[in-house]
Amino acid sequence: MADTDELQEAVIKGDAKAAAAATQAALAAGVTPLSIVTEHLVPAMDEVGRRFECQDYFVPEMLLSARAMKASMEIVRPLLAASGAEPIGRVVIGTVQGDLHDIGKNLVASMLEGGGFEVIDLGVNVEPRRFIEAASSRNAGLVALSALLTVTMPAMKTTIDAFAAAGLREKVKIMVGGAPVTEQYANTIGADGYSESAAGAVALARRLAAA
Amino acid sequence: MTGKERILAKLRGEPTDSLPLMPITMMFACDLIGAQYRDYARDHRVLVEAQLAVAERFDFDHVSAISDPTREASDLGGAVEWFDNQPPAIVESRALLGEKAKLANLRLPDPAAPGRMRDRVEAVRMLAAASGTTRIVEGWLEGPCGMSANLRGLNTLMLDFFDDPPFVEALFAFTVRMEIEFARAQVAAGATLIGIGDPAASLVGPKLYAQFVLPAEQELIAAIRALGVPVQLHICGNTKRIVEGMGRTGADIIDLDSPTPLGHARRAMPASQVLLGNIDPVRALRDGTPASIEAALAECFAQAGPAYICGAGCEMPRGTPHANVDAMTRFARSRS
Repeated sequence: MADTDELQEAVIKGDAKAAAAATQAALAAGVTPLSIVTEHLVPAMDEVGRRFECQDYFVPEMLLSARAMKASMEIVRPLLAASGAEPIGRVVIGTVQGDLHDIGKNLVASMLEGGGFEVIDLGVNVEPRRFIEAASSRNAGLVALSALLTVTMPAMKTTIDAFAAAGLREKVKIMVGGAPVTEQYANTIGADGYSESAAGAVALARRLAAA
Repeated sequence: MTGKERILAKLRGEPTDSLPLMPITMMFACDLIGAQYRDYARDHRVLVEAQLAVAERFDFDHVSAISDPTREASDLGGAVEWFDNQPPAIVESRALLGEKAKLANLRLPDPAAPGRMRDRVEAVRMLAAASGTTRIVEGWLEGPCGMSANLRGLNTLMLDFFDDPPFVEALFAFTVRMEIEFARAQVAAGATLIGIGDPAASLVGPKLYAQFVLPAEQELIAAIRALGVPVQLHICGNTKRIVEGMGRTGADIIDLDSPTPLGHARRAMPASQVLLGNIDPVRALRDGTPASIEAALAECFAQAGPAYICGAGCEMPRGTPHANVDAMTRFARSRS
């Protein structure tokens, strides 16, 4: 337990080396890979998100913690796969076509991964067909679309429409976010959910995954 | 008063006949003349035609050479993605300084050499010739944090703050040297104000801002003011936790995005500090009505006090109804 408490601390502080070491120590002590995720990485990233929400942490600190969380996940992920443990959901995420901004998308992806989701990150400037292919081939129930520019927001609607045209709209829940995106816009384009923050995106994804 | 007189009087703390009006227009201006944004960003003649048209149509007090954040990075050899009808963007996966060692060999670009920096200088020259006696001609450049992110990659720079502080300091110093020369060229071409955009600065907290960003912005702003022109500092995003530092940059105009209430900024700065902004560009300006826009601007003015210039929090979005922009102009012209 002491080692896994150290793991939470390492993730919150953003110390990747310490997070990897604490993960190895916890596994050696008999902590299961699933416990490492659900009982330690998830609460740690929840705390990071909380600190971000109250402006105690900022983007650099969030990215540092995300890197530490990923250092632990790199060790745990193959063990989880071997044990057949299922994530609480699979999310395909990307910045929509025409938009090259990814810092917000990266924060949300990290928070989702730290929240127990399997995240398939398609990067930036993602065409609708790539979202569809990834969601289909990876059997993802959630799709998360990001845009920073007002001029690229319509690509969110194009992507949602493309899922409908492919006959896959009912198989996925689509969430949207980004600085200029509003709840009203999300409703207008037929998204299933909108969040204005990374921590809120995790809560939204949990709700959509459970629906 | 002319727009130029109005803005300069406001900066001196003197009475004006109405509120100065300085919204950022890029794609909105381009659309007004029916041009493609690729041409607006590549060809100063298109930018100038659009800026003159938008300022004339809506009675703005300035014209601006702002277009996109990639001009300096382009001239340094950075990877840029172009689009037909929206601003070009940095390709972060192919960042120029993906390897830190390259910084030591990076040479300052010459704003007079063929390239995108010179195209902006030429825009300033044409704007000054066409409109410089009656309107402020705003040159534009990138702030140290934003410019460093353009060269290093935004995600990587955020980690560099912790991983390698001396590198960040060296990178910021390079960008400041480069931008001073860019400002010098624009002032020589007729710019009567220099705007600095430093959007990445809103991603860091007060500690990193004070340690890295503020000293670099202070150095840059002091050097530009020494050229004889006032400086406007624009930082997109939520700046609530760094706004006190922004007030110590020495900028003549602090231009705030909508997440930071002007009252919050006013409490952190002297009453004489000119604030610009800051209605929500999308929710209030584009999607609002003339009546709601007037109410939102009235709230901004009330919070900012007399040292206030009317504008939106960030770029006026494409598709903003002309009636909404007219409402903004009516508000500015009916207050003093």
